[in-house]
Amino acid sequence: MIARGARPEAYTVSAVNAMAKELLETGLPPLWVQGEVTGWKRHTSGHCYFGLRDRSAQIRAVLFRSDAQRLPADPEQGMEVRVLGRLTLYEARGEYQFVARELEGLGAGGLWRIAFEKLYRKLDAEGLLAPERKRPLPRHPSVVAVVTSPVGAALQDILRVISVRAPWTRVLLSPAKVQGDGAPSDLARAIRLAGRTGLADVIIVGRGGGSIEDLWAFNDEVIARAIADSPVPIISAVGHEIDTTIADLVADFRAPTPSAAAERAVPDRAEMSRELSTARDRLVAGLDRWVRTRSLHLEVAGGRLNRVIERTTRRRKERLAQYAGKLDALSPLGALRRGFAVPLDGDGRILRSTDEFKPGDAFDLRVADGSVPCRVEETQYSRGPDG
Amino acid sequence: VTEEQVTLEQRMKRLDAILAKLENDGIELDDALALFEEGVSHIREAERMLSDAELRIERLIAGPRGSFEIEPVADDTD
Repeated sequence: MIARGARPEAYTVSAVNAMAKELLETGLPPLWVQGEVTGWKRHTSGHCYFGLRDRSAQIRAVLFRSDAQRLPADPEQGMEVRVLGRLTLYEARGEYQFVARELEGLGAGGLWRIAFEKLYRKLDAEGLLAPERKRPLPRHPSVVAVVTSPVGAALQDILRVISVRAPWTRVLLSPAKVQGDGAPSDLARAIRLAGRTGLADVIIVGRGGGSIEDLWAFNDEVIARAIADSPVPIISAVGHEIDTTIADLVADFRAPTPSAAAERAVPDRAEMSRELSTARDRLVAGLDRWVRTRSLHLEVAGGRLNRVIERTTRRRKERLAQYAGKLDALSPLGALRRGFAVPLDGDGRILRSTDEFKPGDAFDLRVADGSVPCRVEETQYSRGPDG
Repeated sequence: VTEEQVTLEQRMKRLDAILAKLENDGIELDDALALFEEGVSHIREAERMLSDAELRIERLIAGPRGSFEIEPVADDTD
């Protein structure tokens, strides 16, 4: 520094601050600072201003909008946080401050817990988490929409399970970004898209496990709204069992994993086969019982006709069981072919009751390949199911 | 509703209704046979669907003004 006369040259204020700023910014690397948050203020510009303090000292800090946007929630007064950033000097005031790039809340769940609880209370107050809002899932969906990353393991898990259990299913992938910037709105968009098609019977929304930050998109209000608004029941499958997200709470059914969601969404092929086989047995048994109860009405010609009916009834059951799977045209004629017999009077009317059979009356017993002229010997009324 | 448009869900619900009717007493021969015939055809169609083991995977693509398109996706789960 060159002195002129007795008076040393003075620096301008700006020059001093510029030098101080240079020293602060180059003298220290980016660092993590831990302390208590005080006076947190989110400005309308989106920048957040706050103080960090411990028992004996305080630093002014700022988190600019682009970084502040990533916070799940604002920290509470007095909350212990860790902040990554670097020191600088705010030249307009000559104050040194800490420019934070990241802020993590310490303690259980940190800021995530605060955001979660806040949204939980809001949605709960609106009734969106009420158990009575849950819709039943279809038992046999034809079309399953899947909202997830097109490149994630979750999709592969879901496809694998569906292809094993219910390969007749049509899967509609509604691809979405499941983590990072813009993921919540992209997921919400994909959920709405899947619902809007009018094709899906059920929608699976999910992703594989990850850190709380990875799963955070599923705790966003926009996804909660999209799920609540869905015209189709939604199964959530976010991460692993221990992570419950807002999406899980709003969904109609919460599955612990994407594979479990797929298992819940579609029936198992073997189960379906059993179900159909049971239905077939019940059909045959139902018809069998129909004939058995009605045959009481036909005990008209004593033992002889009765024996005919008994015989046809026995044969019919075996043949029904045998043919049930491949009957093409089961018309009344087909029924006759398989052993039913229908008594008709001279005018071709079906005789249904003992009242219509008078001893000595002639009637035709219509069988598959023709008719058998019969005559009533006597009638025995037994109270049937109709009477 | 044509045969093609009947979903598995509709079929299974109809089958339940048929069984309930058939297992109920007050029906006539023609009705019983018709129900049986219909039930069998639902079972047959459902079984055909079960054996129709081709997983169909498609991707939804949003279009302008709420429209959408569907394109097939190759299944690479194997």
